[in-house]
Amino acid sequence: MGPLETMKKHYEQRDVAAQKWKKQGGKVVGYVSDDCPEEMILAAGLFPFRISGDPASGTAETDKYTESFYDPSVRSILNMLLTGKYDFLDYLVIPHASDSILKLYHQLWWIHRVDPSKQFPPLHLFDIVHTRFWQTGQYVRDQVRALKEKLEEWSGKEITASALARAITIGNENKALLKQVAALRASEPAHLSGVEALQIIGSSMVMLKEEHNKLLSQFLKGASQLPAQEGVRLFIEGSDLDNSQFYELVESCDATIVGENSSWGNRYSDDPVDPSGDPFEAIAERYHLRPSRPRIQSIEQRVAYCVRSALEAKAQGVIFFLYEWDPAPSWDQPDQAKALEDKGIPSLSFNMQKYAMSDRDRETLKKDVKQFVASLSKKKKH
Amino acid sequence: MSAAKGVGDQSKTGPVKDAKPLKSAMAAAQHQKEWFKNAQERVRAGEPFCLANADTPHEIFLAMDDIPIVMMQWWSAIISAKQLSGYYFDRMGDKGYQKNVCRYCALPLACAIEQDPEHEPWGGLPKPTLLLAQLSCDVHTKVFELLARAYNCHFFPFEYPAPAPSYPRWWERLEDDWEEVIGSHVLDLRVEETKALIRYLEVSTGRQFSHKTLLEIMELENEQEEYFKKIRNLIAETRPCPVSLRDQLAATMNLQWHRGTQWAVDHTRMFYEEVKEKADKGEAVCKDEKIRLMWIGRGLWHNTAFYQYFEEKYGAVFTNSMYLSIAADGYIRHHHGDPLRALASRHIYMGYCLRDPEWQLNEAKRYGVNGAVMIVASNCIDSVGNMFIKMVLEQGGVPVLPIYADVVDAREWKDEEIKAQVSQFIEERCMP
Ligand code: SF4
Repeated sequence: MGPLETMKKHYEQRDVAAQKWKKQGGKVVGYVSDDCPEEMILAAGLFPFRISGDPASGTAETDKYTESFYDPSVRSILNMLLTGKYDFLDYLVIPHASDSILKLYHQLWWIHRVDPSKQFPPLHLFDIVHTRFWQTGQYVRDQVRALKEKLEEWSGKEITASALARAITIGNENKALLKQVAALRASEPAHLSGVEALQIIGSSMVMLKEEHNKLLSQFLKGASQLPAQEGVRLFIEGSDLDNSQFYELVESCDATIVGENSSWGNRYSDDPVDPSGDPFEAIAERYHLRPSRPRIQSIEQRVAYCVRSALEAKAQGVIFFLYEWDPAPSWDQPDQAKALEDKGIPSLSFNMQKYAMSDRDRETLKKDVKQFVASLSKKKKH
Repeated sequence: MSAAKGVGDQSKTGPVKDAKPLKSAMAAAQHQKEWFKNAQERVRAGEPFCLANADTPHEIFLAMDDIPIVMMQWWSAIISAKQLSGYYFDRMGDKGYQKNVCRYCALPLACAIEQDPEHEPWGGLPKPTLLLAQLSCDVHTKVFELLARAYNCHFFPFEYPAPAPSYPRWWERLEDDWEEVIGSHVLDLRVEETKALIRYLEVSTGRQFSHKTLLEIMELENEQEEYFKKIRNLIAETRPCPVSLRDQLAATMNLQWHRGTQWAVDHTRMFYEEVKEKADKGEAVCKDEKIRLMWIGRGLWHNTAFYQYFEEKYGAVFTNSMYLSIAADGYIRHHHGDPLRALASRHIYMGYCLRDPEWQLNEAKRYGVNGAVMIVASNCIDSVGNMFIKMVLEQGGVPVLPIYADVVDAREWKDEEIKAQVSQFIEERCMP
């Protein structure tokens, strides 16, 4: 199997590497979102596994305990935790990355309270709070210290500065290689589809990074042979998409997704950890201050990020895809659309979208995407 | 557009079976109006003015020679009670915002963006010179950033460190053992932030923060909240219920906005004395009280008369809501010589405590309710978790009916449908 196929397999069957690690006697730490310092998990000798939802898994169990109106990908994660899909996790780190993710932490506690038969892996809350203030940074440092202690307790071994520095180097290398992947998409013509990009980037979060780096290096060596992608160039903004269903739909309409503002996409490789100095300090600073953390970005910063990224990707148009009950990015959308328009980039917005698309949703979306793509093609010809 | 009365205005009250509206509730509503008018004049004359979320320490402003401060949620309730929410949310929609944007905190923003004081209730909100909120919800950052833009002023955010899932029976410990219940690392951060706020206010307003005044405020607040506790306990144990929920809401909220003043202590005492007198005389919201109901969630600000319908139809009385209960259980702080830290412990998890299922169950038992009606706003993340309240109450023997509606957006309120739901709930699950 070639490197791209291997990464695709890991994206589609996300637990393969973690299960293998477990069979060899290793322990797996699940974490939610990109707000968790995966480098520390690796430095503790544990397998960092970013958990995600799955639109195909349904929400029947989640529906028994929680309301329907919050981030659907987090609801899906809860469903998977309740139905045993994540039984291979030994531990779980939940960062305070968004309201819905914090709710997940509380829900696991309350579910156990109302139904003690429900068991979950031991939990740790990484309380990475909201703002970029210096005082907040002090609090985040304490949180990094607490996470270190918890991981040490779980692994039974100390996280040394040198182990962490090594994990940082591996992680940074991964980010640098992924930036080369992003460049393949930004080139004209693009040499990678959006779906393939999601597979490459997403697999990085469910595999051991060293393995992934090897696959990436191999893949990039053969990149000059990749076929050109001739579709209309689109950039995706909005909710964090942890699956490729929308990309597949868009790219079936003569379009190529050349970039996105998503932690499952290009944004994941922004902001490497500073490799100089104390590695614990560097981790605290990176996770607290990184500009790619949407929660701490103002609307103004989110607008700037969207416009800059769309321009860098040489997108002809932008599609906003916003889940229903993912309110924070929807507040940015009117200003983002306006700023894009000012730069001559048209946009199309899909609001209040379902996490699991029905055939009917697909049909409606496809019709609108096709129309949008056709209007962009016409524009280009003129 | 019809102009309805403001929160606490008694003129819409229909024929209650027995009890007369509370004088203290009317006095508090009147005082709030006068206070607001006075604040408008003071701001016009150049004084600073803060618009803040309700879970922030307004005591700091009081201790700085009484800088006027208005709570977002109060302002939201007033706009809603004037039946203006539909108008403002339609305008938001015109500006490209999603139609399911949350309502409670966004209503003042919708109003601010319009910048049309003629249209606003009570002659309009003065232009704030500062905005203050803790970031207990992701949308707060957005709403306050846009408010800061609309008013061209600064937004001062407090962090919202994650609360622990539940501290067992916190309501029995909070008054004295707040350090342990809330957690030292969280309080360390909040105290630093509060000091930063004080310094910011000193620099930007030229006013001096008075530690002595803060100490006095904290004492006055304890005195006032003790009265609330006595009122809560009295209403909870009195059969039939002597005070309507509508009166409770109006009196409690308007008095709470002035906590820390002698006026508030005096009028909360008056509230207590009135309730006591009613209880002693056997006055009742509904003489033939058959069913006692608890209201879970925010007050139904656009239709506070709703509660009355069931008194007349079934002798079913809404006896309690979180507002009076949290005044009784969540505010008192013996500061042990550190008023700033005690103050920090009051606000940080106020919202979280309000939604604690164990506390809600405790209140349901205290009032001896036959059932609870829980309002759930499906546009607000704060409502997520209500299902646990339902589960815990029902495990404790208290049936719960969730109704899905917004407390400030009257457009989505389906009066007949909701009355039918509550009626069916009363008949099938609450009747003895
Ligand atoms: S989601 Fe709820 S708490 Fe958050 S800003 Fe909106 S109304 Fe307020």
